[in-house]
Amino acid sequence: MLRALHYETSKTSMSHLVLDGLTKRFGSFTAVDAMNLSVERGEFVSLLGPSGCGKTTTLQMIAGFVDVDHGGIRLDGADLVSVAPNKRGLGIVFQSYALFPHMTVAENIAFGLEMRDIAKADRDRQTLAAMELVGLKGFADRYPRRMSGGQQQRVALARALVIKPALLLLDEPLSNLDAKLREEMQGELRQIQRSVGTTTILVTHDQHEAMALSDRIVLMNQGRIEQIGAPDQVYDHPASAFVASFLGKTNVLSGIGDGQGAAAIGGLVLPLPGAGKGPLQLAVRPERLTFAGAEEPGLEARILGRVFQGTHWLLTADSAAGALTLMRGNDGAAVPAEGETVRLRFSAADAALLPAGAAA
Amino acid sequence: MRRNGPLALIFHGLFVVFMLAPLLIVCVVAFTPEGYLSLPTRGPSLRWFKAIFDYPEFIRAFRDSLWLAALSSTIAIMLAVPAALAIARYRFPGREAITALFMSPLMVPHVVLGIAFLRFFTQIGISGTFVGLVLSHIIVVIPFALRLVLAASYGIDRRIEHAAISLGAGTATVFRRVTLPLILPGVVSGWLLAAINSFDEVTMTVFIASPATVTLPVRMFLYIQDNIDPLIAAVSACLIAMTAILLFALDRLFGLDRLFVGSGKG
Repeated sequence: MLRALHYETSKTSMSHLVLDGLTKRFGSFTAVDAMNLSVERGEFVSLLGPSGCGKTTTLQMIAGFVDVDHGGIRLDGADLVSVAPNKRGLGIVFQSYALFPHMTVAENIAFGLEMRDIAKADRDRQTLAAMELVGLKGFADRYPRRMSGGQQQRVALARALVIKPALLLLDEPLSNLDAKLREEMQGELRQIQRSVGTTTILVTHDQHEAMALSDRIVLMNQGRIEQIGAPDQVYDHPASAFVASFLGKTNVLSGIGDGQGAAAIGGLVLPLPGAGKGPLQLAVRPERLTFAGAEEPGLEARILGRVFQGTHWLLTADSAAGALTLMRGNDGAAVPAEGETVRLRFSAADAALLPAGAAA
Repeated sequence: MRRNGPLALIFHGLFVVFMLAPLLIVCVVAFTPEGYLSLPTRGPSLRWFKAIFDYPEFIRAFRDSLWLAALSSTIAIMLAVPAALAIARYRFPGREAITALFMSPLMVPHVVLGIAFLRFFTQIGISGTFVGLVLSHIIVVIPFALRLVLAASYGIDRRIEHAAISLGAGTATVFRRVTLPLILPGVVSGWLLAAINSFDEVTMTVFIASPATVTLPVRMFLYIQDNIDPLIAAVSACLIAMTAILLFALDRLFGLDRLFVGSGKG
């Protein structure tokens, strides 16, 4: 009994941030439904999902801008819900940057230090260090409206980091930037977060951003967590049809299980431990579908269309197991034309068995 | 850029002339040496400007009007700021009703307001006092103050305030350091518009003013009922000159476009 208790406390003290059955309702709509999540110190976790999945509400509850209906939020083991939002000491970066337009860059960054009654000399030193950290040295007297979106985002990041926050909350921070800049900022954001070591929660609907930045991804849908895991783990082993279809492109193929650990998908028979008897559904990534050799068993498919994407071709096809998409690298080999019939194969390791009854 | 056609130019020209001609003529007439309203054909004279000082009522009325405008518009703006922030941000029962109530003085003819206030002030025993004048003017100018502050309040990104809160600012600090600076153009222009409207108000004030509390427009109105001489033109010219100087000073100090539009000079 005592041992169990000790185990429990040591387990909670290890996690930096704990969401415990966090729930928020707006009228009859449940925005966040009994969410449980533990985040380790220094970890970069993304809340990923379509709009309305509850990710932003979750972030706002952590920040204190939305009241919690049920459940708790603990930071370093201490209750956070009862702490006023201005006493939580969290750094937040918003999609709209939310800089103070009537203050210069230096004044923006120094605001949090000023609120902490830090002496002017110290304040200036820390502000300068923060500007250096985000690569904005020499911009101290600039007003935000005279800066580009990327620069404004850096100011917002510096302003949030300069107060040495216990948590860094990022609310779609890069969505307002164009694609090229976004990619640059992703790399920089990750590098800054690593060097500072601040535990970070990112809210995003952009799967690429979540995969590029995070240690772990929390996939959310309709207020619930669908899956938590490292980016490659979640991508390769989606726990549900929703995850499979939301993260990257995926094919959901229907097959028949024989009840003895194998399944037939069209003409292709694969060993699938865990497959029951009767109809089943498999998720297979387009890049894992390959053409079968002449002697090999394969799934027959008729090519319906093909789109050239530079580095690869995207082919759509129709098969007995359902409509599917496949990817062919642009390696110089001939690509089947529309109307041609091809035979496809994939290995059991490339397929994720989807829970029965789950629909994409 | 598209150039204006001749018709448009004529229209604009006529429009500007129509706006400015009366002001210009009043200013010119003010310099007449004659004893009646006329253009100064015999050369300009400062006779009627000197005459203003023979009528201390005008000086006193001017001072009272300034006080009245400053007081009523300041109190009106102090009521309008919290009202506007509440109306812009929260959905509460009676929100529409409160907005309509604040705006209603625009809908009611000032003659009606004048009679109503006269009756009401007599009833509560503040008829003919400066306090009564201030109270009635607050009510008349509040729609102008509220309108402009409301427009500014709707434009605020609440996440800017959230950012300030997350950085440790309390409610009062957020208002002082973030919210107020953000709505300042609306507050300043609302105050200015309210002050101008108060300074300018005759229709209602005529009913409420007593000999002890006569505003400048009412004094001028009473004066021209008895005599029509260039004195009134001289007073008008002084007002026009003061307005011009004030606007010029405001423009140099803050930028008029920034005050009224909320952008421009940084």
